[in-house]
Amino acid sequence: MELFLQRLVDGLSEGSVYALIALGIVIIYRGTGHLNFAQGEMALFSTFVVYQFGEWGIPIGIAVIMGMAVGFTLGAVTEVAIVRPISKKSPFAVFIVTIGLFQLLNWVDGAIWGGQQLPNTGVGSKQVRFPSLFPNNPTDFVTIFGANIKIQSLGVIALVGVLTVALFAIFNHTRLGLAMRAVAANGESAKLVGIRTGRVLMASWGLAAAIGALGGVVFAGISTNVNLGLMFTVFIYASAAATLGGFDSPGGAVVGGLSIGLIQNMAAGYAPKWVGQEMKVGVAFLVILGVLLFRPSGLFGTSRVERV
Amino acid sequence: MTSQTTLLNTRFLTAGYGPVTVLHGIDIEVNEGEIVVVLGANGAGKTTLMRAISGTIPRTGNIEFEGRSIKKDSTDAIVRAGIVQVPQGRGTFPELSVADNLLAGAYVRRDGAKAVADDIAKWYSVFPRLQERSTQRAGSLSGGEQQMLAIARALMSRPKLLLCDEPSMGLAPLITRELFNVIGQLNKEEGLSVLLVEQNANLAMHIASRVYLLETGVIVASGSAAELSADDSIRKAYLGF
Amino acid sequence: MKPLFTIKAGGPTSWAVRVVCAAALVYVLLWIPTSGSNSLIDTATTALTLMGAALSLNLLLGFTGQISLGHSAFFGIGAYTTAVCVTRWGWSPLKTLPIAFAVAFVVGALVSLPALRIKGVYLALVTLTLGVVFPQFIKWPKIEWLTGGSRGLTDTGFKFDKNNRTFELFGWNPWGNLRGENVKPFYFWIAVVIVLIIYLICRGLVKSRVGRSLVAIRDNSTAAAVMGVNLALTKGLVFGLSAAMCALPGSLTAMKGTVTPDTALLTVIGSITFLIVMVVGGAGTLWGPIIGAIVYQFITEKTGDWVEPDKIPSLLRPFFSWSKTPPAAGIFGLSLVVLMFVAPLGLAGFWKQVVGRVVAVVPKPAGSTTLEPTAPSDGIPTWQPEEPLAEQ
Repeated sequence: MELFLQRLVDGLSEGSVYALIALGIVIIYRGTGHLNFAQGEMALFSTFVVYQFGEWGIPIGIAVIMGMAVGFTLGAVTEVAIVRPISKKSPFAVFIVTIGLFQLLNWVDGAIWGGQQLPNTGVGSKQVRFPSLFPNNPTDFVTIFGANIKIQSLGVIALVGVLTVALFAIFNHTRLGLAMRAVAANGESAKLVGIRTGRVLMASWGLAAAIGALGGVVFAGISTNVNLGLMFTVFIYASAAATLGGFDSPGGAVVGGLSIGLIQNMAAGYAPKWVGQEMKVGVAFLVILGVLLFRPSGLFGTSRVERV
Repeated sequence: MTSQTTLLNTRFLTAGYGPVTVLHGIDIEVNEGEIVVVLGANGAGKTTLMRAISGTIPRTGNIEFEGRSIKKDSTDAIVRAGIVQVPQGRGTFPELSVADNLLAGAYVRRDGAKAVADDIAKWYSVFPRLQERSTQRAGSLSGGEQQMLAIARALMSRPKLLLCDEPSMGLAPLITRELFNVIGQLNKEEGLSVLLVEQNANLAMHIASRVYLLETGVIVASGSAAELSADDSIRKAYLGF
Repeated sequence: MKPLFTIKAGGPTSWAVRVVCAAALVYVLLWIPTSGSNSLIDTATTALTLMGAALSLNLLLGFTGQISLGHSAFFGIGAYTTAVCVTRWGWSPLKTLPIAFAVAFVVGALVSLPALRIKGVYLALVTLTLGVVFPQFIKWPKIEWLTGGSRGLTDTGFKFDKNNRTFELFGWNPWGNLRGENVKPFYFWIAVVIVLIIYLICRGLVKSRVGRSLVAIRDNSTAAAVMGVNLALTKGLVFGLSAAMCALPGSLTAMKGTVTPDTALLTVIGSITFLIVMVVGGAGTLWGPIIGAIVYQFITEKTGDWVEPDKIPSLLRPFFSWSKTPPAAGIFGLSLVVLMFVAPLGLAGFWKQVVGRVVAVVPKPAGSTTLEPTAPSDGIPTWQPEEPLAEQ
């Protein structure tokens, strides 16, 4: 029971980070039909920026908000200056460009803050101690049904929960949200009702990168250190989450993220010999393959995901 | 006729897709309070004309709206100026509810939630079927209902000029008639100006103040509905009766 | 602008150019292992390895319009097939090549099929995940008995001892010798042969009728479906072939002696490296990956020690001295972005443009085969997930 509760909380807290990044993936995919492979690296860059703000003595709470602003700018500028002009050429070009950004951002992080480039699994990377948003000393835990649950984990779940509720409020009850949904549903018609689709797409990329920044900071807190491979595995899990939930469903991204977090932690915990730490990522792989085989549109996606 | 103020006025409007030019210098006029119908067969360039006016494709030549050139305006600016296009076929937002579709139609309005809610109620009374389905996803509506939704959505922005792209397309004759009646009614009661492109001449002629014939990107004839119906050769070639 | 010269394809001038180029190529290939330094031979071998992998990746793009981010896994499958066969069953390394080819083919086809049935970015996603899973899978305790876990395997290559044959030619052996005194040229030649095989397969397919119909399928999937072609199966087979070819240079790395799951080219880094090599050289062109590999290896090695500011050439020092890591990764990341704007067909495409300004090649009459079908007429490789879903 204690172990189960612990794994449940661990799974949910990691899963909520996957959900955030998956939300970013889905927001961008709905708007433009592109999968942004640099999603995780944009988040990592913002995370390092937050770390830097912390080093300069800015309180972590303010630093996070500033980091999200940096993330928003990064995402918005990327859309306007790079993705929009290139998407007129071909989807292939967009794909290559996001891979290029992935590589470039990862290198920039390493060049500024040090560490081995590229997403390895952290081998040999310089590890940076990261300031946590929540109390995270060995004594900071609460006991529920005999299980010692870290306050950190509960805080993460709560924070992501609040943010998700806020995001859905934006989607469903604001002008921007209405515009985003309209653009996702029918870009041409969105123009015809007077929506500035360009600005909406810019805002989508910005929003995706901003929540990614929060996801990065939160995940760095759980992991207690930051290295250049940090967000890469998160991106993989988040992609699996988006596939599971349906690539064009924000609700699906959240459910998918939490599920992947749970499945992966439970599997690693209850089948240490079969899954263990090594094959955690294998879970993501199997989920993606399984979904593609049996339900290509995911749990909540629309069936617009076409067969060839 | 000349006493009426000109609302929309295109001079040598040319447009196309990439290297292909579809419209070769179109001159049309829509006066305030008129329903102007552009008739043309498949491939004549009807949809292109709509798109060129609403600014969703690049165009050359001049377009004036209320005496001001909108040639360089983007689509959203044109919508804010008061021209709204009802796109061909299912131009709704299929994943959004009917109510949200209407809300999106009011996107450019700045006169507050109350006024928008009043308008939604008004169009619900004109199209009662939409009210019954207000919480359903637009994609689940029938073709006729979607077309009504598209028109209601366009009207939500309180346009001065409504562009209708083949509203009869894919609809049963009865529903088409109902639709044209509604458009005619709106024109009489609200003074709404309409520019409508159609293939289905018979119904459109009934409500038209003036008619243009469009053939492979060129206007080949124009006049009142009565004048055109009276011309034997035109009637046989284009109107089929 | 009118080109300065015109050459008739198939005419004497054209043949003269070809002969000169071929002679130069042969000369370079002979010069490196005989007169080059050991480090040059190493560099050349690595470049050839990258060439092989990027060529196989390029075949996939050319024929299915899709991209894999998991070719490092197939590369790794090649390496581990060779390593396991040699260490566990004592095979001769060269004989493991066909096995590596076959294993990678099967895995590639199986993994790609579910993704290829669906439009969109799924193949990229599935393969990316595969690339991440592969090294983890190798470390999996359940199969440590076979793969050696995270420590990897040693003695996976050739056994050099005094009794091996030397294959001397009048006392001269440009291919190194198997008695362990001079082995680098030997690896070099294996790499050359592997690249040659891959190049010939690609070239043969591209210029064959089968290849042409495959390209037609890529460009118009509806037409192909109407013709009754099983699109997913065809693409799956091409994917399998691409994966299988990528396993060959992977085998070569194992032949050098050790394999560990953290070897860079066996992780996702490898996949991204292959992609960079392909795009920088020219995606969708036959010669692109070859040029790309040379450029990639050259820049990577030249800038490898630029972490210390005094190693940077003084002209470039202000631009790079702030960086705590070598700039190669950043240079290539940036060049992917920039190339898509200015030269979508990479250096090969750029080269063609430049040469086209100076020399015009008059093609043979219709029906001949001088064009490269992999480069679509608009100059940009098309990619299968055509429209954003939002516009449907």
